[in-house]
Amino acid sequence: MKGIFAVALGVLTAIGGFVDIGDLVTNSVVGSRFGMTLTWVVLVGVVGICLFAQMSGRVAAVSGRATFEIIRERLGARMALANLSASFLINLLTLTAEIGGIALALQLASSIEPVLWFPVAAIAVWIVIWRVKFSIMENVTGLLGLALVVFAVALFFLHPDWSALGSQVLLQPSPHTDETPATYWYYAIALFGAAMTPYEVFFFSSGAIEEKWKKKDLAQSRLNVLVGFPLGGLLSLAIAACATVVLLPKGIQVESLFETALPVAQALGKIGLIIVILGFVAATFGAALEVTLSSGYTLGQFFGWPWGKFRRPASASRFHAVMILSLVVALGILFTGVDPVQVTEFSVVFSAIALPLTYLPILIVANDPKYMGDEVNGRATNFFGLIYLGLILVASIAAIPLMIVTGAGA
Amino acid sequence: MTQKRHLPPAPAVAGRVLDAGLDLLDRQILDPDAVPVSTVDDLELTTPDDLEHLDPDSPPIIESLLTGPILLTRIFGGRLPDSRFIRIPWKVVADPGTVVRVGVAADSLDASWTERWMRDHVIARIPGGRHDPE
Repeated sequence: MKGIFAVALGVLTAIGGFVDIGDLVTNSVVGSRFGMTLTWVVLVGVVGICLFAQMSGRVAAVSGRATFEIIRERLGARMALANLSASFLINLLTLTAEIGGIALALQLASSIEPVLWFPVAAIAVWIVIWRVKFSIMENVTGLLGLALVVFAVALFFLHPDWSALGSQVLLQPSPHTDETPATYWYYAIALFGAAMTPYEVFFFSSGAIEEKWKKKDLAQSRLNVLVGFPLGGLLSLAIAACATVVLLPKGIQVESLFETALPVAQALGKIGLIIVILGFVAATFGAALEVTLSSGYTLGQFFGWPWGKFRRPASASRFHAVMILSLVVALGILFTGVDPVQVTEFSVVFSAIALPLTYLPILIVANDPKYMGDEVNGRATNFFGLIYLGLILVASIAAIPLMIVTGAGA
Repeated sequence: MTQKRHLPPAPAVAGRVLDAGLDLLDRQILDPDAVPVSTVDDLELTTPDDLEHLDPDSPPIIESLLTGPILLTRIFGGRLPDSRFIRIPWKVVADPGTVVRVGVAADSLDASWTERWMRDHVIARIPGGRHDPE
């Protein structure tokens, strides 16, 4: 009985933890502008994150080495330092976006200006990281994040024309929009980046070590990822579909989380709005925790510091100092008055740019018997891994030119 | 490629062969309790008397693992004054595998002084810093 409970818990937290501010914003922007025509990108992205999150978790469980240690051992100090600088900056950007997202969600609930919520959100994130055990942190935010299922419920209550939605998935491009091909591809890369953000892999592999996974836990982890992430991807699609049904016909632009929540409010009224705000807070808060930890993980692993929440803060002092500093910097960025939604859009595109440097070393080490023994990748995993590496490379190269051509999707 | 060139056979070696660049550099250094000490940022070798004609019978040997600011000069070039070298003597290395294990506690090595400094001056002074997470 306990086994079944553990499996269910793992899967549910994977679903709830999948969506973050990047997915929330990007999916509803895409839904409101392109309808369901970019569904295929979400599907491709979900398969990719399943593949590589699983691989990094397996490497961590078998070899005991987390992703950034491997990046340095395999790419050498110079390339790894370049990768570290890029990943750390993107992490800071993502952290800024997530803290901003918490504040925007709390603003929906309270109509108090986000500026006042920024410090509250950052301090709450720090207290959880300072004092709360890893497993409790993961499970609580993951389970509360399940509140976002309300998007799927709302979609049914909106009584959409299912065949029209379905035909948008298949017909390219959508008849509704007059967007240029360049913006279409720009948002394709943004969605891909939102689904495959590098911090998820840093967090997943470090989390495997935090929770002391061994070989025997691999089956459980595989199940969590292979069931939980695709269901989380469905949630992303439900968000996009809600925006397609409500926002697209009226030409409403997504400028804050308010527009993202609008379809749910229309379908389910006040109750729906309360649940969706709870989901927003849980999803952004959970992601803020993961991103903050990832900033400590990447630096700690690169420099060989003691890291991890399984140690008390005094036994991982530099790790905790980095996380405190990251939160302070993110707060500073937010106080300059930048729009958190725009920060989010930039962070997902920059994520897409940094992807190859993160995923290549994982693929290499997953094939190295010195680390993996007889648990090296099978042929099918390597086949798909290589295909994704190609995709990631193309997305990464195309991102900046598309950003310039489209004026960042304007 | 007209003719296959025959290379002389490699000299017989006793024990395990490590490629310093591949198997040592950039590896994690762990103490006996698996507490990370640092990473292998560079290696210090003995300098042979005659650099032009190396004597195959007394090759250079590893004196110590280097860590700390040496990483920056390794990447960007330049030279560090000897006072800035942080050494972990090779004699404390217990097992160079996928991680380099040393036989002494992390806290007894100079390499982790920044960890201790940050602990004593900042982290341990914040309430809750010395307790396990709950």
